[in-house]
Amino acid sequence: MPGFLQPTTLEEAFALLDGKGETRFLAGGTDLLVLLRLGAISCDNVMDVKRIPELSTLRLTDETLEIGAAWTCNQILAAPEVGSEYAPLRQASAALANSLLRNRATLVGNICNASPGGDMLPACLVLEGSVVAASSRGERTIALKDFFTGVKKNVLKPDEIVLRTVFPRTQGRGTYLKKKRIHGHDLAQVSVAGFYADDGHLRLALGAVAITPLLLDFGVIPAAELPARRTEIIEAVAAAAKPITDVRASREYRLAMGRLFTERIIDGLIDGSLGLAEDRPCTTPAREAVTA
Amino acid sequence: MNTRPIHLTVNNQGYEVLVPEDATLLELLREEIGLTGTKEGCGAGECGACTVILNGKPVNSCLVMALECEGASVRTIEGENADGELSDLQKAFIEHNAFQCGFCTPGMIMSARALLDTNPDPTHDEIKEAMEGNLCRCTGYEAIIAAIEAVGGIQK
Ligand SMILES: Cc1cc2nc3c(=O)[nH]c(=O)nc-3n(C[C@H](O)[C@H](O)[C@H](O)COP(=O)(O)OP(=O)(O)OC[C@H]3O[C@@H](n4cnc5c(N)ncnc54)[C@H](O)[C@@H]3O)c2cc1C
Ligand code: FES
Ligand code: FES
Repeated sequence: MPGFLQPTTLEEAFALLDGKGETRFLAGGTDLLVLLRLGAISCDNVMDVKRIPELSTLRLTDETLEIGAAWTCNQILAAPEVGSEYAPLRQASAALANSLLRNRATLVGNICNASPGGDMLPACLVLEGSVVAASSRGERTIALKDFFTGVKKNVLKPDEIVLRTVFPRTQGRGTYLKKKRIHGHDLAQVSVAGFYADDGHLRLALGAVAITPLLLDFGVIPAAELPARRTEIIEAVAAAAKPITDVRASREYRLAMGRLFTERIIDGLIDGSLGLAEDRPCTTPAREAVTA
Repeated sequence: MNTRPIHLTVNNQGYEVLVPEDATLLELLREEIGLTGTKEGCGAGECGACTVILNGKPVNSCLVMALECEGASVRTIEGENADGELSDLQKAFIEHNAFQCGFCTPGMIMSARALLDTNPDPTHDEIKEAMEGNLCRCTGYEAIIAAIEAVGGIQK
């Protein structure tokens, strides 16, 4: 097992990374510590990044919502800044694992872990999320649609620390639907997030149907045209999904449920039922909506 | 493996202990401090037997590194009867037959305690949500929920 580093500034973190062998970053540890203990991964050092101040801020500005990398799912659910316009993000936060793990599990840990079934990923994709990563070479912003490269693979360099996730300010209606085997904690068998911006821009994203989460950007579809284009949208989603059969579900089941969820989202947008009764602040957030 | 000193408060008592750099909070509590009430079931976040309250929030102590807890305040099952008498939750668990082997009970009680601290009168659904990370292989969950409801003062 590795050594333990706990910098309190970014500069200290960069200095500690220099020449120390392989270092893995620790947020909530709910992926990292499980993998380390299983021996599935190894490293020379674990660096707890939660005491770096840049990772602890959550800000709503005129243009963006910025969520620091140390923010847990439960903290995001309790944050008044994360309003009902970010419903997919709220619902995914509430659907991840269970309330105990959500006290530790972070949004950025879920993103960096890059599991194709990670709950936050489809939600972040439809809300046009990006991450800001920093290293001794400087900062860069990476759109999440360009972030995931394979199962548990992403474009980060080993020395890049994600500081925050950034979403544009938006208005619209959206949701996150997750199918899982049991009522308790379980990764998604399949999941679908949808967001229909008030300007008519429609985005859908699917989890657990390919080696990375899938984003489908339909551009602007005026509300009056949604009924006529319903079938085309659903077929486009079905054609993009390339699931496999594994312990959680068969390929056929994933395809069928992915289609069903897509239909529910589009029909909810057409008949106006989607996104109207968003409950917040929520202790039992959108339970019916997330475990269909 | 290197050891490092850590300072923390457990059940309102201050400790300064040397821990291996790779120890978990669970190992710190059980092996360094000697509080063996907190249990290890799976060691992987699945069962909740290791639940303790860390800075006011219930967490799986098997997935927290000990050195993360410098300066932290931790509450464990041993803090429930600190004054020599069983706590309200402990008594309610006995009254409602809410355990059999008892292995999950320390974790159950810590999750329930954290809930009641922030929400003294939780609904049935709020209790279910707060307890969803704590698994019991013997008792079933109705008796456990009933015990927590009784302390929350809810009429069944
Ligand atoms: C029992 C159990 C049930 C679970 N159920 C679900 C579920 O239903 N849905 C789901 O999506 N996930 C689930 N998970 C997985 C996990 O809880 C989530 O992926 C969680 O969001 C990870 O966040 P974390 O803060 O714990 O990450 P960590 O474990 O701390 O880190 C995860 C990865 O991200 C990297 N990382 C973290 N922070 C940074 C940073 N700032 N910069 C760069 N890299 C970073 C780490 O190095 C590591 O590789 C479950 C896990 C367990 C143990
Ligand atoms: S021992 Fe920690 S969750 Fe099972
Ligand atoms: S009483 Fe035996 S595991 Fe719960």
